[in-house]
Amino acid sequence: MTDWSRRAAAGIAFVLLLAIPAAAQTGQPAAAVKAPVVSDTGSLGGPRQPIFFRHDIHAGEYKIPCQYCHFSVAIASEPGIPSVQTCFGCHLMVGGSTPAHEAEIQKVRDAWSNETPPAWVRVHTLPAFVHFPHMRHIKALGANACTTCHGNVREMPQVRQVSTLTMGWCVSCHVQKQVTRDCSVCHY
Amino acid sequence: MSEGMNRRRFLSVLGVTGGGAAALGACGVGSEPAQKLIPYLIQPEDQVPGTATLFATTCRECPAGCGLHAKTREGRVIKLEGNRESPINHGRLCARGQAALEGVYNPDRVTTPLARTAQGTLEPISWDNALQRLGDHVKEARGKGIAFVTGHEAGVFGELVDEWTRGVGGRHVAYEPFAFEALREGNRLAFGIPAVPWYGIAGASYILSFGADFLDTWLSPVEYQRAFSRAHSFDASRGEAEAMAKFVFVGPRMSLTGMNADEWIPAAPGTEGLLALAMAEVIVRERLGASVDVGPVRDLLGRHTPDAVAGAVGIDAEAIARLAREFAKAGRGIALAGGIPAHYPNGAEIVAAVNILNYVVGAVGKTVQFGPNSSVDMASSFKEMVDLVADMQAGKVALLLVQGANPGHSLSSFMQAWSKVGFKVCFATMLDETASAADLVLPDLHPLEQWNDARPRAGVFALQQPVMQRVWPDARQAGDVLLALAGKSDTFKDYLQSHWRAAHARAGHAKSFDDVWNEALQHGGVYTDAGSQSVRLAPTAGHIMAGAPAAPAFDGNTGDPVLVAFPSAALYDGRGADKPWLQELPDPVSKIAWHAWVEVHPETAHKWGVVDGDYVLLTSPFGAVRAPVSVTPGIRPDVVAVPTGQGHTALGRYAKGRSFNAFDLLSGAANGYGGRTFAVRVAVTRTRDHRFLASSAGDPRDVGPGEEIIRVLPLARAQQLKPGDHPFLQREAPEYAEPALEGWAEEQRKKANLGDYAGPHPRWAMAIDLSSCTGCSACVTACYAENNIATVGEDLFVRHRQMSWMRIERYWRGGEGGEPVRGVVTPMLCQHCEQAPCEPVCPVYAAYHTPDGLNAQVYNRCVGTRYCANNCAYKVRYFNWYNFAEVGGEHEAWPAPLDWQLNPDVTVREKGVMEKCTFCVQRIRGAQHKARLENRVVHDGDITPACAQSCPSEAIVFGDLHNETSRVAQLAADPRGYHVLQELNTKSGITYLARVVHGEEA
Repeated sequence: MTDWSRRAAAGIAFVLLLAIPAAAQTGQPAAAVKAPVVSDTGSLGGPRQPIFFRHDIHAGEYKIPCQYCHFSVAIASEPGIPSVQTCFGCHLMVGGSTPAHEAEIQKVRDAWSNETPPAWVRVHTLPAFVHFPHMRHIKALGANACTTCHGNVREMPQVRQVSTLTMGWCVSCHVQKQVTRDCSVCHY
Repeated sequence: MSEGMNRRRFLSVLGVTGGGAAALGACGVGSEPAQKLIPYLIQPEDQVPGTATLFATTCRECPAGCGLHAKTREGRVIKLEGNRESPINHGRLCARGQAALEGVYNPDRVTTPLARTAQGTLEPISWDNALQRLGDHVKEARGKGIAFVTGHEAGVFGELVDEWTRGVGGRHVAYEPFAFEALREGNRLAFGIPAVPWYGIAGASYILSFGADFLDTWLSPVEYQRAFSRAHSFDASRGEAEAMAKFVFVGPRMSLTGMNADEWIPAAPGTEGLLALAMAEVIVRERLGASVDVGPVRDLLGRHTPDAVAGAVGIDAEAIARLAREFAKAGRGIALAGGIPAHYPNGAEIVAAVNILNYVVGAVGKTVQFGPNSSVDMASSFKEMVDLVADMQAGKVALLLVQGANPGHSLSSFMQAWSKVGFKVCFATMLDETASAADLVLPDLHPLEQWNDARPRAGVFALQQPVMQRVWPDARQAGDVLLALAGKSDTFKDYLQSHWRAAHARAGHAKSFDDVWNEALQHGGVYTDAGSQSVRLAPTAGHIMAGAPAAPAFDGNTGDPVLVAFPSAALYDGRGADKPWLQELPDPVSKIAWHAWVEVHPETAHKWGVVDGDYVLLTSPFGAVRAPVSVTPGIRPDVVAVPTGQGHTALGRYAKGRSFNAFDLLSGAANGYGGRTFAVRVAVTRTRDHRFLASSAGDPRDVGPGEEIIRVLPLARAQQLKPGDHPFLQREAPEYAEPALEGWAEEQRKKANLGDYAGPHPRWAMAIDLSSCTGCSACVTACYAENNIATVGEDLFVRHRQMSWMRIERYWRGGEGGEPVRGVVTPMLCQHCEQAPCEPVCPVYAAYHTPDGLNAQVYNRCVGTRYCANNCAYKVRYFNWYNFAEVGGEHEAWPAPLDWQLNPDVTVREKGVMEKCTFCVQRIRGAQHKARLENRVVHDGDITPACAQSCPSEAIVFGDLHNETSRVAQLAADPRGYHVLQELNTKSGITYLARVVHGEEA
């Protein structure tokens, strides 16, 4: 089996997995969300990314659970950025329904074949002296708690920062939920 | 590491983990984190972002072969810890082992093949070109002499070199500057076996060391330190007779090992063997020992009675007899020989004499076991190296290959013969003295990037695997190059596996090879017990010490002091000098960092009119060096001592041009037993030069030598203590302060019920047993590694600006009016006071108390007033005077790729910020996260700070004081427990347990 065909087989396996309705896997509300056609990308919030990856299509319309790609959010402090293999797993088969989509998906396929991962522009940033454990927040608030800080990414054609991520903003929630406000929980 | 991972994907890790990776960059408090997120192409299965992955491998920093757990984050190794499964080090690791990290990330590594040009410079060439040249020279040199010099290799790479050199008609010399020849020869003389046995120090009740520095550099220091602590640390639960072994050290200089002795006997240099024989004579004459056949040595012992040797040794006969009786009556005694005495011209005879002592007392077969022999005897003797040098000089070597050894530093005659060799090739990670003079330099992989194995002792098969993708993609393992040169398509990993496969087949193992191999990778190797072998005295034993009882003749003018060169505890033979952690680690005895020194007794110094820091010119028949004086009571007045390890003329920015090279004073000729003599008489001339010693002794931070700081109890008193006794408890405050204190306490109680502080919390605390602590300083380096502590360099060190959160303070006691001198040590770190003086003085609440009892320091809040450091009674707060993370800055501590070693869980501090020990709060939070995910509470033992993890003597225990069943709570209630400066009412979180010594005085 060649390397390429092995990867292709893996991709097919991913697609089969996806064939099970995502909503059935997570119990997310099955409200029909139709991602809009975006013609004016200039008016979208957030930084422009090397690939116009549509969270609203993937997480919204197709209801792919956040943790399918951000795989370590419930077990580690870092949420995990999907590897190109994860993208290609589906996009080996899924080629896009419009010329605009096809062009973007082609970039993923090129990234895979050129072995050059895209350099995503970072949207959510904390200073280096802050340690934010994602898993503790998922554990406390549940698997769908991403929106609490990141906003309704399911409806965002391009991800933008909706919360300030300042310390006051963190602490206000900690006060409200009556959980620790000790400095050394995050700063060390 | 996953097979399919290439360098590009490895590098793409750079930005992938957001906040974690941001700390890897050059950003401290307030700097900008990474702005790009670059994902993997394929996520490695064994990695979870933000979570450490451990790989089991083997340490190659010395021949001991300790097991390692390499902690990797996002594909980079960030910390080395001991492998708990290893029967050698049982999870512990010394400073040198931990500093291997700075070898793999050293900014001065060789990154590409280099060849010497017609102009005499080394210029980069391609691998194809390099292999072509090497292949041509091998062909040309066949039959004209080919030699391959490696370091100590007790594994498959050594076998490959043997095989290769046999194939091309060459020879293999495994060169170690300290090759323990005297041990092998001494054992041959005494028992007819030229092997180095296993020493069961842990089970001994009386330890007698004739110079063997088993806590610093002798054979397997981590293993023996752990064993020593088990035997020698006070444990009342073992019963009165067994509470604590006695340790007596014989040697001209008080080394780290000597400093831990209950009694130090500074016998005249070279007479240690006479002392051993006289003790054996007493034991045999008074029938105190085992019923063994002493026939072969009866005459020898008859000539060496205490009365006959007392004059030469310099100890009265009665004291010798007392020692002999104590030793024999202890039941399970052990006598060890090594270190300086084993490097005298009569070193082998000294070892043989000590063996005879072991034999007559019945230790052989019990505490000294032949069978699980050490593999240090795989190193060639010094004589083989001298023979090679002679052949080089005679033009009989046409091609010389060097890997893993640096004779250019330790053997000047080697470099004198160097130019007579047709073509010189070095496989090197660093351009050391040897490699920088080579015709062809091939970039080798660091042991942490290599496949290999090691057999530290019979029965232990330790495996070495790459723990990360190679740092420099153009480096190749020497084994791979040799196989390619031999026209094989196999990699060295294949070669290694084929050897393991063959061994697996021979052993007739029930499991498949793949299972055995994978398990070995997981556990760090295959560990079996080698059976022990019974030995008896050989006829040669009776013929040692044929001459009259006298000290050996040392080279040099009679009347001059004897200079002994000893391996540095941090830099060893010089291989550690390129690592800033080790350079900045104060020597455990002299407390000097960044340069070498000459130890002189106070009386001698007075006679010569020199003080600390005065330069003297030391001239031996073989060379001369200028050395700054360090006055120390731990040395005989007629002896001076210098450490090896410094004085490099190459080896990168941290090593080059520092101080002097002690090897320059030594003879390049092999002595009678084929070893090297590390003692020589030197003429000492005062010079007018002076320098400030970069020493942490006498640091203004030192808490002080007072008896109430470092408590020492005589054994008899310690044994009288009962649970509930608190001999050191004293009034915390004078009477007139009581009302104020009560008011203060009331306020504290009120505050303790506010907000986060209400409700039950742990109280993190530590217990340090000074009866176990030896002062080896492994914890210091562990702290540097775990907490991203900057090394400040020599100039700032001289100004006492080192940032060592964990420091070991060493004080001399006694020595006045003929009373014995004794070194005492104490680790000093933030005491996490319950009523901390630093907290109320911080104007911005950067220093504050956490609900779980930590004295926290919030870096991003700190504005650098330094009031806290001024008010700290223990002086354990350290200020960032410069931006040590600034790329290209004057004080840059982590020039790339050294910054890859930084722990992403810990903030890199910036200029103007105060920092200090945090009790490894990142580990506390990590354990709390883990427990919460598993829906449980944190158990005792879940959290181990880096210092406690590394400590080879298991002296440090950490835990929750509020949990009454925790080990730390039990130790805090120990009668030996006390707090340093408790009269200040700081209620410190660290309980020290008093040191216990045999003898009268404390």
